[in-house]
Amino acid sequence: MGVRTSAAIAAAKIMSAACRLIGKQGVTYAGKLAMRIDPGILKKLSGQVEKKILVVCGTNGKTTTNNLLCAALEGEGNRVVCNRTGSNMLMGVAAAFVLAADLRGRLRADYACIEIDEASAVRVFPHMKPDLMILTNLFRDQLDRYGEIDLTMEKLSDAIKLVPDLEIAVNADDPLCTWLAQESGRKTVTFGISRQVYTEQSSREIREGQFCKCCGTALEYSFYHYSQMGDYRCPKCGFARPPIRYDAAEVSLSDGLAFTVDGRRISVDYRGFYNIYNILAAYAGATEAGEALPHLDGVLKGYDPAFGRNELFSIGGARVLLNLAKNPAGFNQNISSVMTDTSPKDLIIVINDNAQDGTDVSWLWDVDFDRLADESVRSVTVSGIRGRDMQLRLKYVDIPSTLEESVEEAIRKRLADGCGNLYVLVNYTALYHTHQILKEMEKRK
Amino acid sequence: MKKGLTIGHLYPDLLNLYGDRGNIQCLRKRLEWRGYEADVLEFTLDDKIDFNRLDLVLLGGGSDREQMIVCKKLRDIRKDFSAFVEDGGAVLAVCGGYQLLGHYYDTQEGRIEGLSLVDLYTEQGSPRLISNEVIIGPDFSMPIVGFENHGGRTFIGENRPLGQVKFGFGNNGQDGQEGVLYRNVVGTYLHGPLLPKNPHVCDYLLSRALERKYGEASLEPLDDTQEEEANRSIVKRFAGGNA
Repeated sequence: MGVRTSAAIAAAKIMSAACRLIGKQGVTYAGKLAMRIDPGILKKLSGQVEKKILVVCGTNGKTTTNNLLCAALEGEGNRVVCNRTGSNMLMGVAAAFVLAADLRGRLRADYACIEIDEASAVRVFPHMKPDLMILTNLFRDQLDRYGEIDLTMEKLSDAIKLVPDLEIAVNADDPLCTWLAQESGRKTVTFGISRQVYTEQSSREIREGQFCKCCGTALEYSFYHYSQMGDYRCPKCGFARPPIRYDAAEVSLSDGLAFTVDGRRISVDYRGFYNIYNILAAYAGATEAGEALPHLDGVLKGYDPAFGRNELFSIGGARVLLNLAKNPAGFNQNISSVMTDTSPKDLIIVINDNAQDGTDVSWLWDVDFDRLADESVRSVTVSGIRGRDMQLRLKYVDIPSTLEESVEEAIRKRLADGCGNLYVLVNYTALYHTHQILKEMEKRK
Repeated sequence: MKKGLTIGHLYPDLLNLYGDRGNIQCLRKRLEWRGYEADVLEFTLDDKIDFNRLDLVLLGGGSDREQMIVCKKLRDIRKDFSAFVEDGGAVLAVCGGYQLLGHYYDTQEGRIEGLSLVDLYTEQGSPRLISNEVIIGPDFSMPIVGFENHGGRTFIGENRPLGQVKFGFGNNGQDGQEGVLYRNVVGTYLHGPLLPKNPHVCDYLLSRALERKYGEASLEPLDDTQEEEANRSIVKRFAGGNA
């Protein structure tokens, strides 16, 4: 493999170890360093994957889907390269491969499971040719960084053009993803939830892509699952939800989640309707890759939700649930899952506006926070750089809240005076810090 | 009969990109907290709009593609909308809606014809102007803050701007001006959404609309501590001692 490759791998490993020592994630730095020493390194390493390279793209659920996919493949005895922490731009992808290789530049992997930022796919694919792309959903997210959703779709479409024999597993319930997959002309397989689950349909929720991408006519829906997910058709040009190959049937949302796909009953003890899509997408991806998944039940039972995704902490007898919520679709889903817990609870919401969060926080007004106006929600505390924006957002739906500058202080106070059932919803850059605070508190108590 | 305002929200299914619902919510709440009625009518492209029924109109922002869809419809309402504006009707137009107030928006894909309600025009530029923004205007007691994200460069000619830019880019990144004030029309690139952190702009619009309808407007003060703190924190963080 050459001296340059070995030097790049060694340097990246040292960098990553050093970062961990000082308590930083450092994955991106490691990737950057390796790519600087050997710009061809990602190509060389990804070329050694023996079976298939699977990538996960879409706005929400990438990390959970990708980690589930990785766990499912590992559960069948495969060796898998995975960017588990969610570092999903070019340097993060490079780091995943570099840190998995040995110093001679050899990678022993059957599969690679890689989540990729929608806007970065076009930069990653020249270095790494995936066999299958799982396309989960497209929502408005970080408008200041990605621009309007149309631009995100154009970038994804450009990326797909770079890989002629790519197969796409697409969420058929999302008209935007479906249109993108159909437009690409690539071999496509669908997953989704063909039947209506919720009988009540909110009319106010923000929905993307309400107009047919082919002809501009308003799409008609026979029902929605949430956001623009549902059973749609264009009355003018015939664009419609395609038949679903991997269909989650007999969905049950009480006591965790359960559904049937390919005649197998899948049940897990975590919540969130969106997790049906995450599990289904991982199932479709692994099955399309050629795995029969006899060990899937065990894998799902032993699966620990990804970092900060419905992560449970126990602190001095109190139950604390940490969850990432970074855009309206994700936040609305989070609120749904908080509100299915009807017992008394306290809530902390932390909103930052760093570059990775999106510096524009206007999306907070697209979230249906009025649903928190319920007597089971005993208190709401806001924090983060944009805590004041969050407080105003709540004020205008008549929900009083307390502002705490320090996240740690907020958690400490609500543990002291709250009801022992605390939900902490944070956006991206607040996640790592909040996670560390909770881990520390859990250890100490 | 209880006093109140009828607010028309134009095409929220297409122009809803930057939390425009927050502007509606702010207008509604600040009326209700003072004992006025707030009636919000949402119009889709197929609805007929009777401007005689409206006291305040909100035109929000959308993507270029969606704006193109809307602009085809605007020809039908141009005459009535213009009469509303000339009669002193209050309008808040944000971002894409602001561009549509003018004569046209020239993009690479072609010209988006505007309403010509205000003598201004927009040309596409590069790069997009994306930033937090702080402005001060002679009509307003406190700075106005928000977020801008626009490819278009807007030129308002001899019209009065909403304010002078202290931080950010403004209408076109060149002349230091942000937005436009024409009769009772407020056009601006500022979203965030605009009104919750700028209660003084919200009350300005409400006052104008109430005056037109009832001949006088007495808006009793509200406890705006949280609004003012949120505004001040943005001013301090981005404009420092500059505003």
